[in-house]
Amino acid sequence: MRSLARASLSAFRVSLRLRVISTWSYLNWLVFPVLFAVVGLYVLSRPGAASSHVVYGVLGGGLIGYWSVAYLDGGNGIQEERWNGTLEQIFATPTRLWVILLGKITGGLLFGLLAFLPTAAIAYLGFHAVLPNLDPGRFAISLGILTFSFFCIALTLTPLFALWRWAFSMLNGFELGVYILCGFMFPVAVLAPWAQGVAALLAPTWAVRALYASTLSGGPRDFVVWWLATIGLSLAYLAGAYFLYALVERKARISGQLALA
Amino acid sequence: MKRLALEAAVFGRSTYLQYVALFQWANPQGYVAYKVLLPVTQILFFVELGVYATGPQNALYFALGNALQLTANAGIFGVIATVANERQYGTLPILLASPANRMVTFLSRAIVNVIDGIATVVVGLAIVVVLFGLNLQHANLLLLAICVVVISLTTAGLGLMFGSIGLVMRDAIIIANIVYYLLLIVCGINFPVSRLPGAVQVLSFALPLTRGVQAARDAAAGASLGQVSGLLAGELLVGLSWALAGYLLFRLLENWARRGGLQEAY
Repeated sequence: MRSLARASLSAFRVSLRLRVISTWSYLNWLVFPVLFAVVGLYVLSRPGAASSHVVYGVLGGGLIGYWSVAYLDGGNGIQEERWNGTLEQIFATPTRLWVILLGKITGGLLFGLLAFLPTAAIAYLGFHAVLPNLDPGRFAISLGILTFSFFCIALTLTPLFALWRWAFSMLNGFELGVYILCGFMFPVAVLAPWAQGVAALLAPTWAVRALYASTLSGGPRDFVVWWLATIGLSLAYLAGAYFLYALVERKARISGQLALA
Repeated sequence: MKRLALEAAVFGRSTYLQYVALFQWANPQGYVAYKVLLPVTQILFFVELGVYATGPQNALYFALGNALQLTANAGIFGVIATVANERQYGTLPILLASPANRMVTFLSRAIVNVIDGIATVVVGLAIVVVLFGLNLQHANLLLLAICVVVISLTTAGLGLMFGSIGLVMRDAIIIANIVYYLLLIVCGINFPVSRLPGAVQVLSFALPLTRGVQAARDAAAGASLGQVSGLLAGELLVGLSWALAGYLLFRLLENWARRGGLQEAY
């Protein structure tokens, strides 16, 4: 157990160090969130706009950045291992793949949280937008549960980046689709009913709903239900991950494509 | 005359090779991801955002703006990626050592992406027509098509400018990402340019898309060529200026890269 923790901690340290020197990382937690926040705030904070709209502008950019770093950057991390020629070694090492990914993903999550700082700053300084009805306790719990859901999704799906070289391109192309379905910058309720059905299957959707509700004075406040839905779906993803890891570890060795950049 | 024919042959060959070797989306997965999924989700995201913020009556404003901004996907990403990929594949030093006419080589990097940009906007507009019921009955379709071609050319001009930086910078594709999303803010895609601070408005009108998108919106509303000719002429002038600046920067950085051996770093 201690050796697994040591391996995971080591992956965490390397992950953080690589992010500190990676320009892509800064793009994901600093530049993209700010650009999206600015567009969102301009669109959502027109003169006379409801305060509930502005809240989506304040937090939306941060959520987008957090997701980008936590998940897409994790996938990119696997792609970089492939390009650097170290992906084969990761699969060949006696330490299980999930242990290494656990460290890498945790590093990503820590970095991803930084995305809320520049977006909150641009909202306050550039648009005088604040969160006057913030419930700090519920906000913190919702953010923690959102982090757990990002962690579970990343841990579940990241090995697919190792198995399929095109997986990163596909998910990168669909990135804005995730913003829509999880309600990062506007409520899922504005979507078509079928899209709301798909969104309901995604764990972050419920945590994001709770996060926004904790910044508003009115509206539904079923926090416990939303938190439990997030945790339940996240655990279901983890259960699926158990089988997925076995498949990926076997398939990767059979296909022999880990070194193909 | 013979010299011109030779240059034309180099241009044609270079364009073809650019397509087969450097057009990074020339595989089914890449094309689906970046030319179908990204346009569809970008349009949907900003339309839903706009509808939530301003009501369903403004859906077409957001849909049309974002469909036209997709030209930047090819014009900015594609052109910058061309130089970046040349470096990645190790062919940049060979290109810089070749005696080929630099202007011809430079411009040939953009042609495939201009065509691709037009195709991307057609896909985007088709999505807008199908999903959001864009009514083109009263639109000046020929003028709208001219606007799309002009915007594709001018965004490629901006792409050539930033692509030149790829001669000395390893991660030039990062610039493509920043410029692409910056255009969403400053070019009147999702809200009028008049809402931006004065200094940023100056930047807006110094960039491609701003006038072109306005002209295309007018064309979709049925305007005539005479009514938008000023906007289109301005758009072309801006695009040409960026392309010319890009060519000058290309020549400058080419020498710099050669002196420092920067073209071999990747």
